[in-house]
Amino acid sequence: MKRTVARLLTVLGLLLLIAGCTTVKPWDRDLLAQKRMSFNPTPMLQAIDEHIYFSKEASMGGIGVGGGGCGCN
Amino acid sequence: MRPRSLGFLLGSVILTSLFLPAAFGAGAGRTAPDFTLPTASGPLSLHDQRGKVVYLDFWASWCAPCRESFPWMSSMYAQYSKEGLVIVAVNLDKQRDLAESFLQDFPAEFPVAFDPEGKIPEAYGVQAMPTSFIIGRDGKIVSTHQGFESDRAKELEHQIKEALAR
Amino acid sequence: MAGPPEKRPTVVRDALHTAALALLLVPATVQAADSEAGDKIDLTWLQYGEQSRTRIAEPVVRFTHLMPDGQSFSAQLGIDIITGASPTGALPSGQVQTHTTPSGRVVTSPPGQIPTAPFQDHRLSLDADWKRPLGRLVITTLGGHVSREKDYQSLGANGEVSVDVWHRMMTLTAGGSINHDSVFPVGGTPAGLSDGTILHSSANAKRVGNIFFGASRILSRKWMAGVTGSRTFESGYLTEPYKLVSVMNDNGQPISELTDKRPSIRNRTSLLFSSVYHLTDDVLYNSYRYYTDSWKVRSHTLEIRYRHQLDTDTYIEPLLRFYTQSAASFYTVGLHDGAPLPDFASSDYRLGRLQTITLGATYGFAFDDNPGNWVVRAEYIRQAGDSSPPGAVGIQRGFDLAPPVNIYAIVVGYTFKY
Repeated sequence: MKRTVARLLTVLGLLLLIAGCTTVKPWDRDLLAQKRMSFNPTPMLQAIDEHIYFSKEASMGGIGVGGGGCGCN
Repeated sequence: MRPRSLGFLLGSVILTSLFLPAAFGAGAGRTAPDFTLPTASGPLSLHDQRGKVVYLDFWASWCAPCRESFPWMSSMYAQYSKEGLVIVAVNLDKQRDLAESFLQDFPAEFPVAFDPEGKIPEAYGVQAMPTSFIIGRDGKIVSTHQGFESDRAKELEHQIKEALAR
Repeated sequence: MAGPPEKRPTVVRDALHTAALALLLVPATVQAADSEAGDKIDLTWLQYGEQSRTRIAEPVVRFTHLMPDGQSFSAQLGIDIITGASPTGALPSGQVQTHTTPSGRVVTSPPGQIPTAPFQDHRLSLDADWKRPLGRLVITTLGGHVSREKDYQSLGANGEVSVDVWHRMMTLTAGGSINHDSVFPVGGTPAGLSDGTILHSSANAKRVGNIFFGASRILSRKWMAGVTGSRTFESGYLTEPYKLVSVMNDNGQPISELTDKRPSIRNRTSLLFSSVYHLTDDVLYNSYRYYTDSWKVRSHTLEIRYRHQLDTDTYIEPLLRFYTQSAASFYTVGLHDGAPLPDFASSDYRLGRLQTITLGATYGFAFDDNPGNWVVRAEYIRQAGDSSPPGAVGIQRGFDLAPPVNIYAIVVGYTFKY
């Protein structure tokens, strides 16, 4: 059961990556360029939250990734 | 073919395609696609600039490196316009007021054209923001530059001088 | 009747120490952040409190130097001042129970209530990292971490590489870290599942290794999403030296206490899905994490945040978080007198079945005549477990073994660039 869930989630993850191959033009990245369009816009606050939950729960934080943005330079 | 080898081959193909350099669109040596765009002082056409060297820059208010490129472009224009350098900065903001706000902080001595629908960068095959093209006196593209970095400004200036000398 | 256990100190504390925290530093992003070089200072203060339990004050200061070529160096100093009380893991009894702290203080627990014991600690942590772009598409990060408290020390190093591919529509990240920790319990290391006999007074090693892979992509002009998979391998001394497991008779009455004992290996896996979606003016953040480990703990975490921009520098961002976890395989309410001892046992509620709900809001703002940016976050966290789990027998069925804990956390942050 656990293995199935893990496999399902992995497939979902891959689908997310592959699904839809339309590119967003560089000049259409105006919204993505905003600072708040980030997986982690407030790193100091995020670190504190993860610190709290790590101490109170058994799980360990999944690390987020960078990406998006205006693709400038 | 054994499943494992097939998987490896498939994986390599996918990985390679991800890393393929984006080298499509208007390349060096080709004639720069013509355009007519509105500016603050009336329409500007590229073909009217034949005989001059054109530094064509695609920019937007949200593009951080553009804050560095604008002062540099102003200084280039001041230095080389008498030798025949024309700078055209095509703005791609979807809202005009964002561009105006940027221009108040970074004023431009050179013409700024507006293309909110992004038709011209499409024609030029722009892959990054900002992207600039040096177009020679014959209307052909001399070089393409993706992004802007202060370290590369000297190299750009060198290419402009070369194009002016021809 | 549970009298005070043999003179071994029973100071109990929640472990806020951990090597893994080194992993929670600012991740590299390939966004064109401020291209202007300069220095930045981040000041943050956390004020945390659990109803009748732990209290923490945590100031953190971070200094960042950003160079014109995109390279940056960062150094961070954090101090934790922890006081309060936390559950020992022992069961409540029909009578008053007493515990002795290392300083000789005797603490009594009222009948029917989960015994807790007070503690106090200070923790100092130092982090440094170096971020370096390689060309236009790659960013590398290297970091180090050191932290120290009364009974725990952590040393770690971490690194990651981030690459933009496919017309910069996708970002691939890979990274890892290694940590070498030392646990040296106050009064010496007790034997596991024993009456607390001290084995030795030297440090116990704990090694943690982690690797992670992530991919994020732009789905549309307004939407980006990502997935990260992470594997962590822990080995060494993974037991909580101060936690206890009660031994009860057939009527559920605790008659003695044994020390906590956990396996010396723990392998963890987590999968995190995140999404950032730009609405007309506001931004919606979603994330879901699935976690499982070799101790058989499984958890689901769902977090939703909604950022509403009021003006250029001002925003309000409410947040909601749901968390649920299943118990570790060796989690037990209490052991039975006369039954053979299991290999491992723990009554630490953090390894049991529990749910956490968080309701919070963040307010970001700036003052006209002040160059910095402020942020204030307030969170109400409520954690609850099984009040009467299957293992509770006899009189234990009449006690609430996992009363909800109400927690508040307030963070104030100030960022100043110059």
